[in-house]
Amino acid sequence: MDLWQSMVVFVVLAPGLVFAALGLLWMLGWAPSERTVAALTGGTFLASLVALACIVGRLAFTGLPSVTVTYGNWFAVYDYRFPLVLMADRLSLPFIGLTVTLAGLIGKFSATYLHRERGFLRFFLLLHLFAFGSLLAFAAGSFDLLVGGWEMVGITSVLLIAFFQHRPAPVENGLRVFAVYRACDIGLLVAVFAMHHWAGTASFAEGLPQLDGAESAAACLLLLLAAAGKAAQVPFSGWLPRAMEGPTPSSAIFYGAISIHAGAYLLLRVQPLLAQSKLAETIVILIGVVTAIHGTIVGRASADAKTSLAYASLTQVGVVFVEIGLGWKSIAIAHIVGHATVRTLQFLRAPSMLHDDHQLHSAIGSELSAAVNNPEDLLPERVQLWLYRWALDRGHLDTILDRFVVYPLVRLSKFFSRLDRLGLNEPLKQQEKIAQVMPTAAGRRSA
Amino acid sequence: MDPASILRASAVGGPWVGAVVAAATRRQARPIGFVAASVSVLLSAFLLHATHGPDSVGAALMLLFSCLSVVAMGVVPRRDCTPSMIAGVLFILGSTLLAYSTQNLLVLLAGWILTTIPFFLPQLFRVETWRPRIGLLLSSIALALAVGLIGVSGHPMSIDRLRDQGPGGIAVFALLVAAVIFRKGICPAHAWVADAAEGGAAIPTALLLNGHFGALLVAKLIMPLFPHSARDFFPLLSYLALATALYVAIRALTENSPRRLLAYLALSQSACILAGLESQTPEGMTGAFVHWFVVTVSTMGLFGIVRLLEVRFGENLTASRHLGFAEHAPRLAVFFVLFGLALVGLPGTLSFCSLDLLIHGTLMSHAQTGLLLPIAIAMNAVSMFRLFTRLFLGKRRTGFTVMADALPRERWVLAAAVLFVVLGGLFPKAIVALAPIDASASRQLTQQR
Repeated sequence: MDLWQSMVVFVVLAPGLVFAALGLLWMLGWAPSERTVAALTGGTFLASLVALACIVGRLAFTGLPSVTVTYGNWFAVYDYRFPLVLMADRLSLPFIGLTVTLAGLIGKFSATYLHRERGFLRFFLLLHLFAFGSLLAFAAGSFDLLVGGWEMVGITSVLLIAFFQHRPAPVENGLRVFAVYRACDIGLLVAVFAMHHWAGTASFAEGLPQLDGAESAAACLLLLLAAAGKAAQVPFSGWLPRAMEGPTPSSAIFYGAISIHAGAYLLLRVQPLLAQSKLAETIVILIGVVTAIHGTIVGRASADAKTSLAYASLTQVGVVFVEIGLGWKSIAIAHIVGHATVRTLQFLRAPSMLHDDHQLHSAIGSELSAAVNNPEDLLPERVQLWLYRWALDRGHLDTILDRFVVYPLVRLSKFFSRLDRLGLNEPLKQQEKIAQVMPTAAGRRSA
Repeated sequence: MDPASILRASAVGGPWVGAVVAAATRRQARPIGFVAASVSVLLSAFLLHATHGPDSVGAALMLLFSCLSVVAMGVVPRRDCTPSMIAGVLFILGSTLLAYSTQNLLVLLAGWILTTIPFFLPQLFRVETWRPRIGLLLSSIALALAVGLIGVSGHPMSIDRLRDQGPGGIAVFALLVAAVIFRKGICPAHAWVADAAEGGAAIPTALLLNGHFGALLVAKLIMPLFPHSARDFFPLLSYLALATALYVAIRALTENSPRRLLAYLALSQSACILAGLESQTPEGMTGAFVHWFVVTVSTMGLFGIVRLLEVRFGENLTASRHLGFAEHAPRLAVFFVLFGLALVGLPGTLSFCSLDLLIHGTLMSHAQTGLLLPIAIAMNAVSMFRLFTRLFLGKRRTGFTVMADALPRERWVLAAAVLFVVLGGLFPKAIVALAPIDASASRQLTQQR
């Protein structure tokens, strides 16, 4: 392994190692000070940024397409292999750069923002795990490895939504987001297995797996399911406002910058496959258009700053999907980089919005003039009202999901529960009833 | 007697001797249990080192189960740590090792029956409800009839000598499948598992379930003895396993009793093991073997933590609302979420590798199973995360004066178990290499289909 390959490995592994070290020490009873955690975080991401700059310089000056690190197989059974390949190429580098830079900045910001907050260490642990997962997903040279990073991003995202664990709402919302992620990730898993089945590999370090027309359409549609879930595209957009329950810095990096664009990265990665299937391309464009319209309408009726920003993100990601569907790869990458940077700044300033507003008023010495005309004012009043109601319920997406997926599953589960109780003895039935309705001993005592 | 046989006999006999000593002295039960289980760990490790080929599988499983018993000794709360509990656990350990180590049908039958005996005795782990007793009894009867029929038809009792012969024909095959269905809790005979977990002693029940005798019977008896019947009828069992995985995964979505919910999750994940074995592809069978390790360690950790919570916070734990235990017991919360997510395929743990292999293998042999298993696993993940959030997150409870997090004894054994699933996930080759797969033969079988 040469110096450049070592640098790629360092950039990907560094946050993971910090997470493992801090986590293990905490499990053994050591609680590091806030200053130590912040310094370690800053040092890690700064070193990663320097290494990344060297890699970018190397690729720029030599004209090489990528730096690839091959470690052989993670495991192999007969002719099935799980290749361990890391790759920093012209597609992954912008995403890796964004992750390293923004994670470092968020770490710096959070050291002050979460000062003396319960869960300070937990936040930083999850930030490192998230950075590791993202970097693994972006630097993976095979879909197998990408799945690993992808899932880690999902788990950390959910745990950070439930960061304020003493309140039930963030916890329940975290659970909901987890369910949507898991459901959509089935698409990614099945796509990877299908690629192994059809092409014998899911590695893309030396080009994407060779699939024929129908196979590539099927694989793209499965990957689109995963990408749409992670990027909160319609019809999965309902989880995005729920995710705003997490701390502002995590909202900034997840839903303003990295996680929300991971779906777009996946589609960019398989863009040559996508180009083979008109059907998949059309569906990508359609989803992007619908999401952009949905995002802009719902965002206008959002009452809080973070949700409003989240829907603004959604609109932009919808546009990115359209660009990918149209095959405008470079424009999509530039759009993502610009959008992620601006949106992160907006999210981080969101808690200071009133302060900023007051400062602005003081600076100009008078009230600001009202907003300019909104395009929806051109619509008839009835349509405006209908749209407002539609936007207030966030496009009824959660209602539809509940009615057609959640409730039927719950009803089926309860029916199975009744079936299982058919032969149950009375004492256990009684015990089950107690478990359903009675508070715990802890609850009784506190009452 | 060769050295391997001596090691086997000592590994099996050690826990039984420990059980007798613990029951007779009625003092220092936990240290006796630790020593006896640790002796089995050491002897099984030596046995694994000394054996090669198919024999090493039995040794690997013996080592796994012995380690599991050491974990059990560590997480048994002081309230439960009576001489009878320790003796019972050691008895289950010895009997399970007996079944793992033998190549004789009668001895296998003896091990099979002996592991169930503590669950019929009121002094040990007898459950009040009838379904667990009936489930275990029917599985034992089915196996005994199968072994009896093989004996009556004049066949030898050595499994090696019966290979490929299909002794006793379709009747014996059907009885063996019935034994698997009852013991493993395959739909529609699944209800006893949840009853046993709910109403019985948590840790011995986890040990009973984690013996995975149903999968053992498939791998050790059905596949080698009935290769042709297996090829013809396995799709049926595969669909039953898939139905079980889906049924209990859906059932778990609204379950509020933590023990019952864990039992459903264990059942669903165990059904995946069976589906992998029945795929008869090298990937599926290896995945099933590795998943066996994961399910065993994770479910033992989860049942152990739930029992520790019950002892600390009250017996009537429920997932119907948030209990906020993470504030009191953050380390138990971390252990729980790690075991839970490790059970359902968290990247970086061993189950990520096992499920990858398992689903790929089943997809190759039965596409429907391969496509539907990820859905069952996703639902299990949601149920597991729901249980975690309900038990550990939410508003902090304030009715306690002293609330212990994981004690050092518990912390060390749980940390060792977590390290196993994490390090196993980072370096899975060592465990994958233990899988007893004749890859070319399996591939031929798949192609024949």
